[in-house]
Amino acid sequence: MLFQRVKTLLKTKKQLKMRSKDNMNKQVFFKKKKACPFSGEDGMTIDYKDVKMLGRYVSEKGKIIPSRITSVSAKKQRELSRAIKRARYIALLPFVAN
Amino acid sequence: MNKYESVLIARQDLGTSQVSGIVSDLTNVLKKEGGEVVRVDSWGLKTLAYRIKKNRKGHYVLLNIAAPATAIAEFERIMRFNEDIIRYMTIKVDAFSEGKNSSEDKETVEDAE
Repeated sequence: MLFQRVKTLLKTKKQLKMRSKDNMNKQVFFKKKKACPFSGEDGMTIDYKDVKMLGRYVSEKGKIIPSRITSVSAKKQRELSRAIKRARYIALLPFVAN
Repeated sequence: MNKYESVLIARQDLGTSQVSGIVSDLTNVLKKEGGEVVRVDSWGLKTLAYRIKKNRKGHYVLLNIAAPATAIAEFERIMRFNEDIIRYMTIKVDAFSEGKNSSEDKETVEDAE
């Protein structure tokens, strides 16, 4: 009996979470089903020297765009972040852009 | 013997011949310590994204190196003392990447014209 009550409690909590997430995402970021462009066999390689590719994952101000917008997987986002920071160090990308 | 990739930026006041002179000096340093330079890729004079030591442009050179770690330590030490090299970065890599990337863009622009 107790277990069933706990189960139903958890269900409603999950539903609440999902509902609010959906509302948020529907308003702002519609395309959520995109795949990570770097994963898979034919994914792009992350290279700190490739300024054109890196520039797509950097905002107008030069900040790194979060993966919930670009739908990059977590592991690749870490690699991408490392590559962007290397490119910033050797002045291929700015730290702050105007 | 490990594989390294090194990018160095030389001051904009230098000519291309002086830059290649610096690169050959560094190559000799590496050879003495038992390493070898597999590839030298000069990206030429590029505009820097921000000013480094009051320079707005710099000569970029990419080196692919196979050397023991002691040779790299000496290599970096020499670069630190050389005032003409304003920035350098050495990374250990698993495999050398083909293709130039930065100079590729330049080449395509020239072909289009």
